[in-house]
Amino acid sequence: MTQEVTVNIDGAFIRAPKGSTVLDAALGAGICIPHLCRVPYLEDIGACRLCIVEHIENGRSKITTSCTLLVQEGMRILSNTDRIRKLRRNIAELLVTEAPNSRAIQDIALRCGVVETRYPFRNSDCVLCGRCVRACTGHFGEKAIGFVGRGKDRRVESPFNLYSELCNECGRCIDLCPMTIVPCDGNMKPGEGRLCGNCESKMLTEEAAQGYCIGCYMGDGFQCERSITNTL
Amino acid sequence: MSKSKLKTIKDLAPLRNSLIKEREKLRATIVICGGTGCQASRSLAVIDEVKKQLAKHKLKKSVNVRTTGCHGFCEQGPVMVIEPDEIFYCHVSPDDAAEIVTKTIRDGEIIERLLYTDPVSGKTIKTESEIPFYLAQDRYLLAQNRQVNPCSIEDYIAIGGYSALAKTLFELPPESVVKEIVNSELRGRGGGGFPTGRKWAECREAPGDEKYVICNADEGDPGAYMDRCVLEGNPHLVLEGMMIGAWAVGARKGYVYVRNEYPLAVKHIQLAVEQARKLGILGENIFGSPFSFDVDIARGGGAFVCGESTALMASLEGKVGEPRPKDVHTVVDGLWHKPTTLNNVETWANVPSIIKNGASWFASKGAKGSKGTKILALTGHIKNTGLVEVEMGKSINDVVFGIGGGATNGKAIKAVQTGGPSGGCLPVEKFDLPVDFDALADAGSMVGSGGMVVMDESTCMVDVAKYFLTFLQDESCGKCVPCRLGIDRMLEIVTEISEGRGTSDHIELLEDLGDTMSTTSLCGLGKTAANPVLSTLRYFRDEYETHINEKKCPAGVCQALITYIIDEEKCTCCGLCKRACPHNAIAGKKKQVHSIDVDLCQKCGICMSECKFDAIQIQ
Repeated sequence: MTQEVTVNIDGAFIRAPKGSTVLDAALGAGICIPHLCRVPYLEDIGACRLCIVEHIENGRSKITTSCTLLVQEGMRILSNTDRIRKLRRNIAELLVTEAPNSRAIQDIALRCGVVETRYPFRNSDCVLCGRCVRACTGHFGEKAIGFVGRGKDRRVESPFNLYSELCNECGRCIDLCPMTIVPCDGNMKPGEGRLCGNCESKMLTEEAAQGYCIGCYMGDGFQCERSITNTL
Repeated sequence: MSKSKLKTIKDLAPLRNSLIKEREKLRATIVICGGTGCQASRSLAVIDEVKKQLAKHKLKKSVNVRTTGCHGFCEQGPVMVIEPDEIFYCHVSPDDAAEIVTKTIRDGEIIERLLYTDPVSGKTIKTESEIPFYLAQDRYLLAQNRQVNPCSIEDYIAIGGYSALAKTLFELPPESVVKEIVNSELRGRGGGGFPTGRKWAECREAPGDEKYVICNADEGDPGAYMDRCVLEGNPHLVLEGMMIGAWAVGARKGYVYVRNEYPLAVKHIQLAVEQARKLGILGENIFGSPFSFDVDIARGGGAFVCGESTALMASLEGKVGEPRPKDVHTVVDGLWHKPTTLNNVETWANVPSIIKNGASWFASKGAKGSKGTKILALTGHIKNTGLVEVEMGKSINDVVFGIGGGATNGKAIKAVQTGGPSGGCLPVEKFDLPVDFDALADAGSMVGSGGMVVMDESTCMVDVAKYFLTFLQDESCGKCVPCRLGIDRMLEIVTEISEGRGTSDHIELLEDLGDTMSTTSLCGLGKTAANPVLSTLRYFRDEYETHINEKKCPAGVCQALITYIIDEEKCTCCGLCKRACPHNAIAGKKKQVHSIDVDLCQKCGICMSECKFDAIQIQ
């Protein structure tokens, strides 16, 4: 039988199986912690840093990603403090200015409260969340694509940038890519430098809804716990 | 004495005694630095020539030539010390060898012109111990470099090497070793300053039979080379420290992760491991005790991020050198998910002396909270550059002005950059701060691994911040968003400022972004990447403001914000600048004051260096 532990997330006592992550526990209980690089059945790497939470330990608060933090009995987590919201907004702002035309990232940005951006827009095709790479190297083990380069040269590529014979064309990488969702109606043209905020998720980022699931595009397209339970 | 295997502990002392006796027979020893710095100034040629001359004068048997690791005074290289009188010669060239052998060795005369001249008093100094550069230091680790040939285990044993290991294995149970290190209050020398004893204790208590110790020699800070010199100059010391640590935490296997750009360090540590294996100091049942331990050398590919513990372990495992989240510490879940103790070269090098002399001996040196000595790499606009070792708690003033001798070319010193790219810049007003972990961290910088880059008034702090951001942008692994995109955006903003497009919002934005990066990044590199910007903003905010508001660079460094002009009163109309200008931007006829066309000028500065009358100035 799976052992269960009780964790306190934002005041709610949540029972979660031992070995699961704080993010899983929160999402399962309907507490939405925005996240991008996490895919439920793949290894978590803590790359996007959106799912940061405050872990209160011995009276001290430590900020860490909830996708890599395993639940422990009696743990105290705050996922929606002013400090976390501000940091999350800054990270989402970095992401959305990098790839302003991705619908999924727009949703995340709005969910994190980004309205004005302070950096000039770029129009990248990839934010290096690594969902595709982990899908390809994870369960199926094909290893047809991987990360190449370091720092600003980091990119996703097949070996030597040639079509990899290892690829069995399962298409999982495409399914998981946050860039493949059809972009919205062009209110986010590069160079315009502001978020339009016309997406439906905007309506749901009212103060009252902070911290709870709002049924955003991330949930629909990205198999967060909510959408899995809904479709079941 | 034959080099047979040391089967029991009783074999060590006779070997040492015979080695010491052998050395006592010698008439003199010529110590020549063969460290990387002195090698660059041709010390190897000096060594060859000295050996040739000794053979010629039939002194080969009675005079020993010892090639050692770095002595620290790299500025004066190649350096030579003649024992037993400790005569110190600097800037020795191969041509001097014959004279040294005939005069100093054979006749006991001192060659005046090779002696070190104190720039303050102008007097020549005869012995090493009288030189102010060395006098002001508290050399313990570095002093050993002079006593041993790094390629000779006999040299190391002769000065008491491996006696701490013997003491550990037969007198101290692992718990007592951990306790001793805890009591010594030794803190990690790699940058973080984590208490070493606590790390060992946690690793010892971690469940699992298989544990590892790792020596982190992946030093990559610009201008820093402390670990390099310890590993190059005294590899057995590091090895002994690792073995004591392995005994304490219960590891049977160790790794030295050394960067491949340090060929001499790689060679010396490899040789040291082979020699130790041959003597039975590494391997099964060391000195006849139940303790077995072996070390492998892993060469790093030169990624800065691989100095981060988890990235280093990933690299050792054969994976891409990227950090992973440390929600579970590496002392529990480290290399191959086994408990692992990772320490820096200098930390390991401190261990044998703590065991030999006791925790209280070590704890008696240094300041509160930061014990012992620290090796610093003193570089930049300063007279005496090189490696210095000081007791922690000494003020920056003492290091920069006392040991370093102040600025070169009479300019005023403006700031010191400590701790490498992760550290910060401290202004001259803060130079009374002690070099200890907590004081520098509170001031927005850090001791780090010990790099100290001194900068004079000709340095622009915005430019310094830009330099470090460019370095970090290349060296960030790119895995997490705050570090990859954060550094990128920071560099973008700082470049805007340095090119005159800065706005008043930029400073606030930099501070906000810096805060986000330092709180949310995945590893230490990202967490500290904003420090160069944040610390310069803290202490040199006016420079940023001048760049933004007045579109001027006070130090005259940022090219977009300066113009070269010709001072009409000083110009002698010689035409040198006009001929030198590669862009034909200078106009003027003979006997007519020249002028620079600002539209054509590419700000290369050639005219300024050509002008003999200081008539060309930066505005």
